[in-house]
Amino acid sequence: MSLTRRDMLMAACVGSAALASAFPSPGSARAQDDTAQDDTIDLIERLTGQTPTLSDRLHLVMPAVFPTGYTVPMDLDIDSPMTADDHVRRIRVFAPQNPLIEVASFNFVPQRSIARVSTRIRLAKPQYVVAVAEMNDGMLLMTKTFVDVATNGCI
Amino acid sequence: MTAPKPRVLVPSAAAKGEVIRVKTIISHQMETGLRHDAQGQVIPRKIINRFVCRYAGVVVFSMDLHEAISANPFIEFYLRATESGRLEFIWEEDGGGGYQLEHQLAVA
Repeated sequence: MSLTRRDMLMAACVGSAALASAFPSPGSARAQDDTAQDDTIDLIERLTGQTPTLSDRLHLVMPAVFPTGYTVPMDLDIDSPMTADDHVRRIRVFAPQNPLIEVASFNFVPQRSIARVSTRIRLAKPQYVVAVAEMNDGMLLMTKTFVDVATNGCI
Repeated sequence: MTAPKPRVLVPSAAAKGEVIRVKTIISHQMETGLRHDAQGQVIPRKIINRFVCRYAGVVVFSMDLHEAISANPFIEFYLRATESGRLEFIWEEDGGGGYQLEHQLAVA
């Protein structure tokens, strides 16, 4: 059987459609992430062995858009009286799209430190940054913030 | 590369019960271990992996740092001034090295 012009055109069309679906445009990354809310919770479950609760007591403040991924400022503040029977033990921060997803963990001491901290982090690509707070009663509270970085800070 | 130099910014005096802000920074490459040199060899990881703050001998704040913390790690945190005493800041590096600073805090 010899290949006709029509066969060739059909093959080209199918091929380019397959390529387009294999490499989604960067703009769609956030839309996918929004529907994949459960993915973040699954990830935290895998890492900690516990189900986190989304909470507005955690405030993870980061710029929505930042020109470089090398030094993205991060402010973390948790509403907690920090008393002996109500305090934050530890906060862990993750960047799920980084080559190494763990960013940092902060350990606090009731009555001595305040559950508030600032630092600067590296991000490989635009993504949700996730903060998980481990309370003294064993509860896991979670929040996440989308940060759009223009350059890769993890090379 | 010059030797890492730690710096802290803390008030020298505070009222009892007051919350004080502590700003720290250390000049450090924070080599992630993900980069390659011109010969294609992996540059070994060398980061500050832990930071500890002791207040009058008691650990009051600590942080575990991973590869995603920026070069020249900057850490800002808050302590409650409970008594006059010495604040000790310790940065621990991969390979067992470390850097240390002390600061005297007077609480009235």
